[in-house]
Formats: sequence, C-alpha cells, structure tokens
Amino acid sequence: MSESTRHYHDDMYPDMELARAYVPIQIYDMSYRPAVALSKGTFFPELYRPYMVKNPY
Amino acid sequence: MHEYQYKLLRDIMALDFTILELALYLDTHPRDKKALKDHNEYVRERKKLKEIYEEKYGPLTLAETSEYPWRYIADPWPWEIKY
Repeated sequence: MSESTRHYHDDMYPDMELARAYVPIQIYDMSYRPAVALSKGTFFPELYRPYMVKNPY
Repeated sequence: MHEYQYKLLRDIMALDFTILELALYLDTHPRDKKALKDHNEYVRERKKLKEIYEEKYGPLTLAETSEYPWRYIADPWPWEIKY
C-alpha cells in the first residue's frame, strides 16, 4: 500500500481493517445473582467493566 | 410502604433485568440449553413474586383487574419511592 492511500497505522494492527466492528461470540457460564446484576448493570461477570473515576488529587 | 413491599418490588425489578439480559443473550444463542433453562426459571420465579405482590398490594401494571375502588393510584408513584 502506497503512503498516499494509508489512512491508519496498519503496521500497528496487521490483521485489522479500518472501521470494521467485531464482537466475539460469548459463552454463557457464570452469572451474578439478579439483585447483584441489577446494581452492576450486567448479568454477566465477563461484561462487568466499571468506569473508574480517578481522583486527581 | 412496608419493608416487605419494597423487597418484593426490588426483587421483581432485579428479575426483570435478569430476564432481559438472558433474552438478549438467547437472541444470538437460541440453542444454549443452560441459558434457556435459567431464563425459564427466572421467569417462573418472577411470575410467582408478581402474584404475591399483586395479591397483597394491588396491580403492578394497568393490564390487571382491580378491586373497588381503583387500586392503581393507591401506592406511591415510582419516583416517590426511595430505594
């Protein structure tokens, strides 16, 4: 690919194309209890990804 | 509003959320037997709690019968409940 047609760093992501979204197939195994799921915002522990608010001080 | 009524409401909301989560998973995994079994169990549990709640405290939705007088307005509105 010539420099003029490069629109992203393809050397950093050799197997990926620009603007392709992907979702790996999930395998259901463990789960939270319903009350815990409601408070965490997901029933699936593997999808629990809380935003960490960092205190700058 | 009694503590038991809050507890039932919270449990029903948690089950509603769980049922929705498993339904979304089942949309893409319709042959996952464990997910389907768990979904059905949570639905049955939810149905049971809904019956207990409505028997004691009145309708959860408009699509239920009501005693006299109209029960639907007897409870606090959702935004008035402090969970």
